[in-house]
Amino acid sequence: DQKELSPSSGDQKVILLPCRSAPSRERVQIWLQAKKQFEQLQ
Amino acid sequence: MATLTRQDLNFGQVVADILCEFLEVAIHLILYVREVYPSGIFQKRKKYNVPVQMSCHPELNQYIQDTLHCVKPLIEKNEAEKVVVVIMDKEHHAVERFVFEISQPPLLSISSETLLSHVEQLLRAVILKISVCDAVLDNNPPGCTFTVLVHTREAATRNMEKIQVIKDFPWIVADEQEVHMQGSRLIPLKTMTSDIVKMQLYVEERAQKTS
Repeated sequence: DQKELSPSSGDQKVILLPCRSAPSRERVQIWLQAKKQFEQLQ
Repeated sequence: MATLTRQDLNFGQVVADILCEFLEVAIHLILYVREVYPSGIFQKRKKYNVPVQMSCHPELNQYIQDTLHCVKPLIEKNEAEKVVVVIMDKEHHAVERFVFEISQPPLLSISSETLLSHVEQLLRAVILKISVCDAVLDNNPPGCTFTVLVHTREAATRNMEKIQVIKDFPWIVADEQEVHMQGSRLIPLKTMTSDIVKMQLYVEERAQKTS
């Protein structure tokens, strides 16, 4: 299970990652289509 | 030729600046080459005197910047052993891991006039390797996403604490599926050795990418 990052006095190796996810491909695709439509209107 | 310690000239900060700038370019390029995002969001730019592809999607760019902003204090204190760009399938299982293994010497022997141009040459070679790595990798399944892992030590995480709060960008301990891949093969891409940093870049690729 994922744990909250809680620094302690220990010096164990630890692997961290951002809690937030990167934008999804679908979300980026929608943005790209909107950008293209906007550019066509200009 | 002078011998400097990490405390001199704020050496750690200089190395962290150089490496984080490089990692930003490298992450954009990996996302482009491995087709994690549509090619339409990428624009050609010139970095390290070679053409690279950089995203123009504001949210993605901010995400990458925030990530590296949090990693930077670890690199500055020589506490980031590895920075890993993980490409994951729709089920959030890792299919590829681009591993940047970083080590910094405790003492420096540098001639400053050649140092930066030498490092730039070495980083350019790594960037060029990333740009052609699709030739040695299998295609990824559709719908992949990515994350960035940092290998450090528990005690070092306090260096990240303040920035996490300021940036509202919290980090958590990775779970098994982000860290391990079953039946992976290792593809070395590039090793660079300079006066200020040594870096090894390799890719771990899952044998069966389609589940």
